[in-house]
Amino acid sequence: MKKSKFLSVVGIASLAAALLVGGCSQSSTQQGDKVELYMGYTSDPPTKKKMEEIIAKFEQSHPHIKIKTVTAPYEDFYQKLTTQIAAGNAPDIWQSDGTKVFGFAQRGAIRDITDYVTKEVNKDEVLGVEFNKDASGKYWGVPQGIQVGALFYNKDLFDKAGVAYPTADWTWDDLKAAAAKLTLDASGKNADDPAFDKNAVKQYGFTFFGSSRGAFNIMKAYGGGVLDPTMTQSIIDSPENKKAVEWMADGMKRKLFPNPAELKAFQSNFKVFLSGATAMQIDIYAATTSMNGAGLNYDVAPMPKGPDGKRFAPVIANSWVINKKAEEQKVKAAQEWITYWTTSDEAQKEWAEVGEAIPVKKSVANSEMFLNPSIKPDNKKVFLNSLDFAGTIDTNAVFAEWLKVVTDNLAELFMDKMSVDDYISKTDQGVQKVLDDFFKKQ
Amino acid sequence: MLEIPNKLQAQPDVKKKRKWLDSEGRWGLLLVSPYLIHFLVFVVGTSLASLYFSFSDYDILNPPKWTGLDNYEKLFADPLFYQALWNTVYFTLLYVPAKTFLALLLAVALNQKLKGLKLFRMAHFLPVISSWTVIAYVADAVFNQRIGFANAILAHFGIAPQSWLIDEVWVIPVLVLIAIWKSVGYMMIIFLAGLQGISNDMYEAASIDGANAWQKFWRVTVPMISGTTFLVIILNTIYSFQNFEQIFVMTGGSTEAGSTGGANNASLVLMLLMFRQGFSFYKMGYASAIAWVLFLILLAITLVQFKLQKKWVHYD
Repeated sequence: MKKSKFLSVVGIASLAAALLVGGCSQSSTQQGDKVELYMGYTSDPPTKKKMEEIIAKFEQSHPHIKIKTVTAPYEDFYQKLTTQIAAGNAPDIWQSDGTKVFGFAQRGAIRDITDYVTKEVNKDEVLGVEFNKDASGKYWGVPQGIQVGALFYNKDLFDKAGVAYPTADWTWDDLKAAAAKLTLDASGKNADDPAFDKNAVKQYGFTFFGSSRGAFNIMKAYGGGVLDPTMTQSIIDSPENKKAVEWMADGMKRKLFPNPAELKAFQSNFKVFLSGATAMQIDIYAATTSMNGAGLNYDVAPMPKGPDGKRFAPVIANSWVINKKAEEQKVKAAQEWITYWTTSDEAQKEWAEVGEAIPVKKSVANSEMFLNPSIKPDNKKVFLNSLDFAGTIDTNAVFAEWLKVVTDNLAELFMDKMSVDDYISKTDQGVQKVLDDFFKKQ
Repeated sequence: MLEIPNKLQAQPDVKKKRKWLDSEGRWGLLLVSPYLIHFLVFVVGTSLASLYFSFSDYDILNPPKWTGLDNYEKLFADPLFYQALWNTVYFTLLYVPAKTFLALLLAVALNQKLKGLKLFRMAHFLPVISSWTVIAYVADAVFNQRIGFANAILAHFGIAPQSWLIDEVWVIPVLVLIAIWKSVGYMMIIFLAGLQGISNDMYEAASIDGANAWQKFWRVTVPMISGTTFLVIILNTIYSFQNFEQIFVMTGGSTEAGSTGGANNASLVLMLLMFRQGFSFYKMGYASAIAWVLFLILLAITLVQFKLQKKWVHYD
């Protein structure tokens, strides 16, 4: 062949070869006695740096284990993880958002680690272990960082309106009474004032939205809820839920809370509290970072009680879960990592420094590392105490789907397009249909 | 009679049958192979896979399980599907005629040889190349319920503020408006190219016959450019049916806690339904069924448009 022809053929052949080889994934390697553990977690730059430091320390004290990581911001990470699970090359262990643990479990993607948890994880020393236990008693993950919800309030707005701060004795009705005094129209009149202009609200008393920061909490406090303990039946059609929904609809009508259209005007649900346009909000511990960043003068109180004295705080236990398809060696290595994470003071203190979650080791959570008095909120202990009455937000395998039914119908209710009774029956039927579609197949 | 010897008689063009694997054929195949492989794997292969998924129950994390026509039966019994279908058709009915006509007008207006018009053409093209996330912020400056200037203008006339993108009645017209504003520049460029192909003689002849500008437009420009118009209508229809990014970004497809959503079912289009079922709810089999139904609908519409073109499209 002439030289130019030869080069062209080589060029085209390598192009074609590159296309074919390009998609190939790396197979896990094992050098000698070392076990390579493939680990995935969500991160942004500060948490990534911290995790890498903790991994380095782990590898020092566990020289037979080498950890290879894959990490990305939240949405990207889970998109990638889904395709990895489908392709069979997912990490051996990954940090799962608490709301996804049962989804992974019910879809057969993660390993049942009941043995490990019951034998080697000390519930007296590790927070939140029970939140990964399903209705049949199986454990699917071990907490990596806890998020729990509380009532956040803007002290400046309370001071300006002359309203006393929320206390641990508050009921949801107390909250509404305070919210009325803290809802102001453009001329500064509050919602109790007969001349209050509903069409010109400048400040809302209370804001709630979504799942962990939303209606679910109020329904639970009233003795209602969405799913039964097996998470396969809807319990929406109940007098307790009806009362809770009436409480919400009444507040919406009086304009104490922003409705979906008004929320949209803020571009992000979180901006309402961050910009000082609302006096109170339900939120989780992780929100303290942005609130501190915005320089808000705020504090937290426990979630208010329902009419029967019931309390409910939403908890999301982000947890380490193990790939169902992981080999035995990797499973053992993964468990060593989990043990290190939950028991090593060093690892826990490093992670507590990042400040994005409550540390899972009780002694660290109760220490000044977490309860740092120089960082807001002052009443941080509220988060720890709330774990006593905290529960998951019914995050089964079809969580996203049933949540959509509830949220869409709530939006219609709050925009005054549906009655409370219609809401209850429609939502109950809609949620049951979603559950049946999935669970009847199992 | 003059006899023409055989040799000189006109021979019909006989193409010598070339073998695939002669030297020219081999080179052809070799050069086409990267694209061909890509096409077979990423287009044909994935389409066939999606067809298979549409007949199965597939939650991505586990292998698909064959269920036959189940997904299609569910689809045709699902009121959300019909709502999404109607929303998509409604969007198309508003979007295609308005955008086509506007693009043509802009092209005619900017086709003059005046100074500075090149800048205008570029200005119209800028939204085309911007991302929807950016456009969403720009649109929010106008349509935000609290601080947008659409409501400020309405307030000036004493009309109550509207909630625009959350309002069931307004959401699709507003989305169409923004979509047209964003992409009309692209079709304008296509029309500009088409206008170059109309010779000036036609316009001179029309002037001689006493036609004014309006008549020139309707009697000369529109018929002569009908081939381009046909292309623009087909492209607009396809874009309209495939419109996903705008609806997702502006009326809340995101599942993140901070996203404020929209009048969601009033702006639910087929692509959004498909995305949500497949990626948020892990029902990839059902989503694939939606994808194939969307494809068949679009194919039918395009075939009808092709049939109709014989009636009104005029090629030289």
